[in-house]
Amino acid sequence: MLLSNEQKNADMRGAYGDTLVELGASNQNIVCVGADTTDSLKIKKFGDYYPDRFFNVGIAEANLVSVAAGLAIAGKIAFASTYAAFLPGRCLDQIRNSICYPDLNVKLVVSHAGLTVGPDGASHQQLEDFSTMRAIPNIRVIVPADAVAAKYLIRSIAMIPGPFYVRLARPSSEVLYEDNAIFTIGKGNILRDGSDATIMACGLMVTRALDAAKVLKSNNGIACRVVDMFSIKPIDTQLVAKCARDTGAIVTAEEHNMIGGLGSAVAESSSETYPVPIRRLGVRDTFGESARDEEIDALLEKYGLGTNEIARGVIECRGKSRR
Amino acid sequence: MGFRMRYLDLKRKICSVRMLAIQGIAEAGSGHPGASFSAAELMGVLYFRKMNHSPTKPDWSERDYFINSKGHSAPGFFATLAIAGYFPPTEMKTLRKLGSRLQGHPVRYTQKESRQSVPGTEFSGGSEGIGLSVSIGIALANRLDGKKNRVYTLIGDGESNEGQIWEAAMAAAKFKLHNLVAILDRNRIQQDGFTEDIMPLDPTRDKWSAFNWNVIEIGGHNVEQIIDALNKASEAKDSPTIIIANTVKGNGIKHMTNNPQWHGKAPPREHTPLLLEELRSECLIAPSIIAGQQENYEEKIRSAERGGADIIHLDIMDGRFVPNTTFYSDTIKQLRHITTLPFDAHLMIENPLAHIQDYIDARCDIVSVHAETCSESEFAQITHRLLSNGISPGIALNPSTDVPNWLFPHLQDVDVVLIMSVNPGFAGQKFIPEVLSKIRLINQKLREHGFLGYIEADGGIDATMLQAVYEAGARIFVAGNAVYGSGDIHGAIIQLRYKVNVALERKLLEQANTIGIRRDWLKTRKHILIPLANELGIEEELHALK
Repeated sequence: MLLSNEQKNADMRGAYGDTLVELGASNQNIVCVGADTTDSLKIKKFGDYYPDRFFNVGIAEANLVSVAAGLAIAGKIAFASTYAAFLPGRCLDQIRNSICYPDLNVKLVVSHAGLTVGPDGASHQQLEDFSTMRAIPNIRVIVPADAVAAKYLIRSIAMIPGPFYVRLARPSSEVLYEDNAIFTIGKGNILRDGSDATIMACGLMVTRALDAAKVLKSNNGIACRVVDMFSIKPIDTQLVAKCARDTGAIVTAEEHNMIGGLGSAVAESSSETYPVPIRRLGVRDTFGESARDEEIDALLEKYGLGTNEIARGVIECRGKSRR
Repeated sequence: MGFRMRYLDLKRKICSVRMLAIQGIAEAGSGHPGASFSAAELMGVLYFRKMNHSPTKPDWSERDYFINSKGHSAPGFFATLAIAGYFPPTEMKTLRKLGSRLQGHPVRYTQKESRQSVPGTEFSGGSEGIGLSVSIGIALANRLDGKKNRVYTLIGDGESNEGQIWEAAMAAAKFKLHNLVAILDRNRIQQDGFTEDIMPLDPTRDKWSAFNWNVIEIGGHNVEQIIDALNKASEAKDSPTIIIANTVKGNGIKHMTNNPQWHGKAPPREHTPLLLEELRSECLIAPSIIAGQQENYEEKIRSAERGGADIIHLDIMDGRFVPNTTFYSDTIKQLRHITTLPFDAHLMIENPLAHIQDYIDARCDIVSVHAETCSESEFAQITHRLLSNGISPGIALNPSTDVPNWLFPHLQDVDVVLIMSVNPGFAGQKFIPEVLSKIRLINQKLREHGFLGYIEADGGIDATMLQAVYEAGARIFVAGNAVYGSGDIHGAIIQLRYKVNVALERKLLEQANTIGIRRDWLKTRKHILIPLANELGIEEELHALK
């Protein structure tokens, strides 16, 4: 499933835009709504191909998601996109009442989430979306780890009726997956096996989790299992239980407040199936700050999400294991 | 699927909606009567007259959409759906109760939900300011699919505080959504008080014009104005339309009107019979334009409209059935364009069947023919022609004519029974007192046979006997000299209404007595009763309440 040695980078947003164009060719019901960030979200291309199915509502996020709701009521598969800071940040009520409550076929695909937004700073670094989206009935929360995952997951959610929230990252990032990888909503993908601990990560933290696993193996002889938990809701409860049973300790890593995100979902699941020590790595209930693109690694480290912090988290968590 | 409902039937259906809504609210012990009532005509005209929709097939793909953005008007909305045939009216008893489909605010579930939505609900309301945006999405999708249907969206003036309304206002104009019609229920009251105190909306019209909308302003309780505005909206090209409907919050129940306290409060359950009585007692004042000195019919109609007349009574006399002649359908055709007020044509002519098409073509809203001028089969043909053209059929009886026996099988098709209280042929005659007991008897007899329409009293009616005519059962009052005989047409109409109000309050007090809630009713109704106290003889009683 994993790409072997060659290293290349790709852009999740570009993958989203291209996939949407591809889907739009075969399905006339796919429409797309943007909010003055359509170039940035790479959905402008969809508008170039299908101008009559593309609607730019300007800087008006409440209107953005509600217009998408209306399109879905009238039978369309509506993709609505802008920056995560504003969607869901600015229109939680509209998502809850006009999309999730009636369970409409709206796909909210956002980018620029997490600390890796970089220079724009904390106002734009959405760190609470997993928590808020996860708590609303009917909507599912998906976080691709690379451009390949983004492509397949966008294809999947277009096929499945009902609301989805998909969070993409801003920076171009390392391609992890081979192009024949498989993604199932509600399942996690084991990217590296091990029996001493499990690291469950999502988004750009998956690469760092894999790096941490390599460091732990070579420096400490700890064999880590690494899971890409791209489906935060529904969470893969079977896999969480299996990893708890197999490895006895779980560390989670996410570009999100440690309250309410992937770590919480895994902990909730494990506590009801197979309780083991869990170390949740996320932003520690604080706001981020600006950093230039070349300082992103340092930014993540400062907020406890670098490769070293993950490795340390695994060691500490294993220390609490009763095995 | 599209059907045209006749004027009086439309009025009656909207009355049923109010009655059903208030029963639901009283039973639930909570809900929003104010907003349900201010929008009753708006929703009624859409569902009973204007929209293409199918109660038996709510998801019909060519349907017009109604988006109730001000979701707190749910009781009125549900009652409208029930009367339109989407679900049994008896289900209103479950409003706001555990396990009911009739949630506090309407919800549209998808099929996978085990709980069912109320059929016909397109949108989950409750959070203000969202529905117009959702309507844009629907209108865009429909246009994309090449559909000819329309989206009608009810928004509130309090709701217009929400910034999202103006986001949507910009977007709908940008997308040139001529298939979108917003209707603003401008009742000027929101939860905390009066809109212009809480957050001023005026100049409302200018705001929407500035946002590049096609703006039409109307009286929101006049069904004929609503119909006219909706027809105009259908002709819009390249821009969305907003109908600013000036309404009265709580309209229909006098003590609830224009009172912020009744925004979201239920009436006590024991008041229900009185509230229903008030709702079903709606009266129409119909000035007859042949009265008075001057011949200028146009000016008479215009002044009656300005003065607050409900409908215009047109006396057609042929010089054969009655000794006098007045005017015919060609005159009505010329008058039709000057007003939206319904035309109530009273054909005092021989052989009405031969001429009925002329009055259909002249776009009369109510047409009454004399029982003395037709056989049963002719009358049946006349009513059939009228009904199939969306016109209210009526039958008129001279003072000495009783209800013909052949009428009873046709009562379902009759909207008006017009009882002459003078011998027809001339304006300015005196009311024949014996007719009062005739009205009472006929009303009683017709109701026993299931008659749901109006009794119209015509001839010599003025303020002095209005109360007696009301008590006898008439609800449409033709007023000739009483309106046009004085110089002050507006004042004359106000005086007639005042008399109707006194008659209504007297009746309600009697009923309150009967069911043992007189004191409570006096307290609830005090601010309505004080100006009428002298006439009703309850001054001391009201004073003692303090």
